[in-house]
Amino acid sequence: MSERAFDLTGIDLHYGFVKALDGVDFHVEQGEVVAMLGDNGAGKSTLMKVMSGAHRPTSGHIAVHGREVHFHSPHDAAAAGVQMVYQDLALVEAQDIATNLNLGREPLRKGPLGWLGFVDRKAMREESDRELDLLGVRTAPMHRPVEMLSGGQRQVIAIARSAVRVTGESNGILLLDEPTAALGYEQTRLVEGLIRTMAGRGIAVVLVTHNLPLAFEVSHRIVVLNRGRKVADIPTADTENDHVVGWITGSRPSMFASA
Amino acid sequence: MSDTADSSAADAAAAAGPSNEGPAAAKAPVHEKLPKSISSLIFIRDRGIIVLWLFLIALFAIWAQPYFFSVSNAMLILSAGAISSIFAAAIAMGVFSGALDLSVPGVAAFVGMCSAWMISHDIPVWVSLLAGLAIGVVIGVINARITLVGLNPLVVTIGSLTVLTGLAAVVGGGYTIPGLDKLAFIGTDTYFAIDQTWTVDVQPWFLVPDFSFQLGGFDGVAGPVFVMAAVFIVMTVFFTKSRGGIRIMAVGGNAEAVRRVGLSSDFYRTMGFVLSSLLAALGGIVTAAYVGEANPAASPGIIFEGLTAVALAGVSLAGGRGSLPKVLVGALILATIGNGLTIAGADPYWALVATGVLLIGALLADLMLTKAVSRRLVSVGNLSVHGKA
Repeated sequence: MSERAFDLTGIDLHYGFVKALDGVDFHVEQGEVVAMLGDNGAGKSTLMKVMSGAHRPTSGHIAVHGREVHFHSPHDAAAAGVQMVYQDLALVEAQDIATNLNLGREPLRKGPLGWLGFVDRKAMREESDRELDLLGVRTAPMHRPVEMLSGGQRQVIAIARSAVRVTGESNGILLLDEPTAALGYEQTRLVEGLIRTMAGRGIAVVLVTHNLPLAFEVSHRIVVLNRGRKVADIPTADTENDHVVGWITGSRPSMFASA
Repeated sequence: MSDTADSSAADAAAAAGPSNEGPAAAKAPVHEKLPKSISSLIFIRDRGIIVLWLFLIALFAIWAQPYFFSVSNAMLILSAGAISSIFAAAIAMGVFSGALDLSVPGVAAFVGMCSAWMISHDIPVWVSLLAGLAIGVVIGVINARITLVGLNPLVVTIGSLTVLTGLAAVVGGGYTIPGLDKLAFIGTDTYFAIDQTWTVDVQPWFLVPDFSFQLGGFDGVAGPVFVMAAVFIVMTVFFTKSRGGIRIMAVGGNAEAVRRVGLSSDFYRTMGFVLSSLLAALGGIVTAAYVGEANPAASPGIIFEGLTAVALAGVSLAGGRGSLPKVLVGALILATIGNGLTIAGADPYWALVATGVLLIGALLADLMLTKAVSRRLVSVGNLSVHGKA
């Protein structure tokens, strides 16, 4: 937990005259879970979009594993090992779990059939089974279509789809946007477990949420944004619910001297 | 780190244990199987169309005996269904990839005219055929390019249907192009004919007295049937086994999902249009070959027959799902109804009525079965999730 997997410094982003982000510094280490909190309009989503390559900051620097990067599109971010799981899960409902997990990197069969683009479905299922096992989430048989899964299972599949893509050669960075917004208690516990397992395997996790109990449950560090500025950045163990609420609402002064 | 992970998994399992979703949820193993009631409902939903077809065959075998239930009549049905099933496949390609392609009749008419024009100008047959198919591919790419700008595929393909119908007439100066004898090998020629006849009497087990059917006296299999078989075999394998087919299905189901994993959703949507136009072109050529002349008039009936077959097959028009063999069965059901009612001596207009009733009935049955499945899924607590215990 020493190397900074993802490091953003002095991020400004202006929409016309509106400063959506004002000199925000943000970093996350390998194996660390950082919860990003803030009220609506505080800049969480905007910062996530900067991190995932959907928006380009007006100024500021972004570095992945110490190397400066410029994201022109989500594709660039994905190539650098940054994957985002959006609130709308974007799963292919009619297809099974294995196909969803492997879309875009389907294993081909060996020999001439493979040259013709034939997919090795058996290998695909076994590989998916193994990957979900490693993540500690086995939900349903791999050939079950996603439309027959519950909300929690779908969320798990969507997260796993990104997780298996960032755990390749280098440990990646996973951005989660409200992963438990639509889930019940038991399903939320499952996602919490999944987030811990992923961090345990070295993935850097950034978690945007309104769910304070979730943030306290899984995160190592809490970052609070207010009106486009970072007002708190503190190890979860060193803070408490009331303080965080104070930072979110603005009733508690920023940890950082205001510029 | 791993400590917390383990304990959390244990917590999740503990939380799952005394869950208030009923005993079924608590007992469900990690890799739970679907309960019998659900899997049988799914089986009916997925295979019902074949049962329906067999039922219709049995019905007409009794009602229209002895002429209906014979090999030669089966071949008649196949021939009648061959061309419309190729067009149904063309419509299905579009629907799979998430775009209803209405230009199919226009492509068929235009390509039929182009290939016929080339053949009548002494261009070798194989060149004319390949050129016709290539024109189909180009039209598919153009349809896709225009649609991907951000227009509704329905409207775009209605536009191209109109344009192509006009162009088809331009090619022949408004007239048909006759004399396509060179195309008879995929048209009127038949293969594997048998001259001898046997009549087999089956003493019935119950209900049906004097049930008999004929063997032999076989006129052979018409050319379009082979084209149909090739189309459905190749395309079914493509869509179920190959990377490209799986991705086209995925893009029809959720283009955003395809985009997010770093694939070009535009490419696979284009592929859908191209396959649709390619099969439409093939259908146009086979039609011209079967009739013996190319007709510039695009027949919109192709769309409705194709769509009926697709809907009978339970293919959602929303895209991303469906099975080609079932589309074939759907097209053959239409041919079976037409043939059976004619032999039974019913007024041919009843075929239309029966087809329409069947279509709406199939849609209702599909909807009710889907609802029943999801209701049962909820009630058995299958919707609860379980961490690895």
